[in-house]
Amino acid sequence: MAHQAHSYHMVDPSPWPILGAAAALLTTSGLTMWFHYNSPQLLIMGLLSTMLVMFQWWRDIVRESTFQGHHTPTVQKGLRYGMALFITSEAFFFLGFFWAFFHSSLAPTPELGGQWPPVGIKPLNPMDVPLLNTAILLASGVTVTWAHHSITEANRKQAIHALTLTVLLGFYFTALQAMEYYEAPFSIADGVYGSTFFVATGFHGLHVIIGSTFLLVCLARLIKYHFTPNHHFGFEAAAWYWHFVDVVWLFLYISIYWWGS
Amino acid sequence: MYYRFSGFTQRLVGATAAAAYSPQGLKPLVPTIESPDLIFGTSKPAPGLPAADPFLSTNKVPDLQKVFQRSDGLPIHLKLGYPDRMLYRTTMALTIGGTIYCLVALFFASRPKKEK
Repeated sequence: MAHQAHSYHMVDPSPWPILGAAAALLTTSGLTMWFHYNSPQLLIMGLLSTMLVMFQWWRDIVRESTFQGHHTPTVQKGLRYGMALFITSEAFFFLGFFWAFFHSSLAPTPELGGQWPPVGIKPLNPMDVPLLNTAILLASGVTVTWAHHSITEANRKQAIHALTLTVLLGFYFTALQAMEYYEAPFSIADGVYGSTFFVATGFHGLHVIIGSTFLLVCLARLIKYHFTPNHHFGFEAAAWYWHFVDVVWLFLYISIYWWGS
Repeated sequence: MYYRFSGFTQRLVGATAAAAYSPQGLKPLVPTIESPDLIFGTSKPAPGLPAADPFLSTNKVPDLQKVFQRSDGLPIHLKLGYPDRMLYRTTMALTIGGTIYCLVALFFASRPKKEK
């Protein structure tokens, strides 16, 4: 086998990019068919194919790195740039929803009763479950950092305990938010308050689920000895993402839950 | 001062110690004496104590490394053979079939209503 004279990774031809694009087509057109024609088949096919592509694509990356050794320091540098840029793009995504919230809440229109929260809206008590959720996410930030230190110090048992705790805290947050959504006295259809509240916290909740899943995959890989004290970028990427999710929640809590109540 | 050969400019350019330690093109595909992956697996528990971790305490990474580095010409997404092929075909069937269904559905959705 001829060896390369550079430290980059020339990947094997892969079907996942094009199939992922097709899956995105199915998901978006599936949403259209579901919204307008009450037909969920295309959406289900889309979501299923998206899951399949994601599973196989990331499985292949684990194979290329842990089992084939293709992730040189140069490749890892590229992955770091990539993850940092992705998280930055997500920050801009949330920025838009915060913009929408402040646009409506800083100058409430007469239709809302000239006040924020609008007339008729009974906001959630920020000192109740939302405060607990804040504590949960802050604690999970501590546990994920503990896990990281354990990995770099080659302390397997502690790393597994800390990462498990992090994942459990993430799921606890999601469960509590789901309960809050169910019990809330207002809905997404309740004017601009409902829209801004549920779209901003809803997308955040989706990111918590994504982050928890990422951390869960890292836990499985940690148990299977994939990470070394010096090379564990998958875990670091998950930890960065998790800290980002935590920071977004802090902004949500302070602006929408607390100031907005 | 460390140097590396820049494939881009075909000259020696300044580099960090890390890049000099892992020279480009000479990173072994199979782990050599270093074998950093085995650090977790090789720490020996104190004699008399049971294995420190109840979960999957055996490190199968070296075996998997051998499997995935076999020179069989298979691309990474089909390297394990049968299970990979089945999953790939299922994904292809769902995606290609779905795309056709999607185009048909969009074709009919874009036509005006036929009743008079």
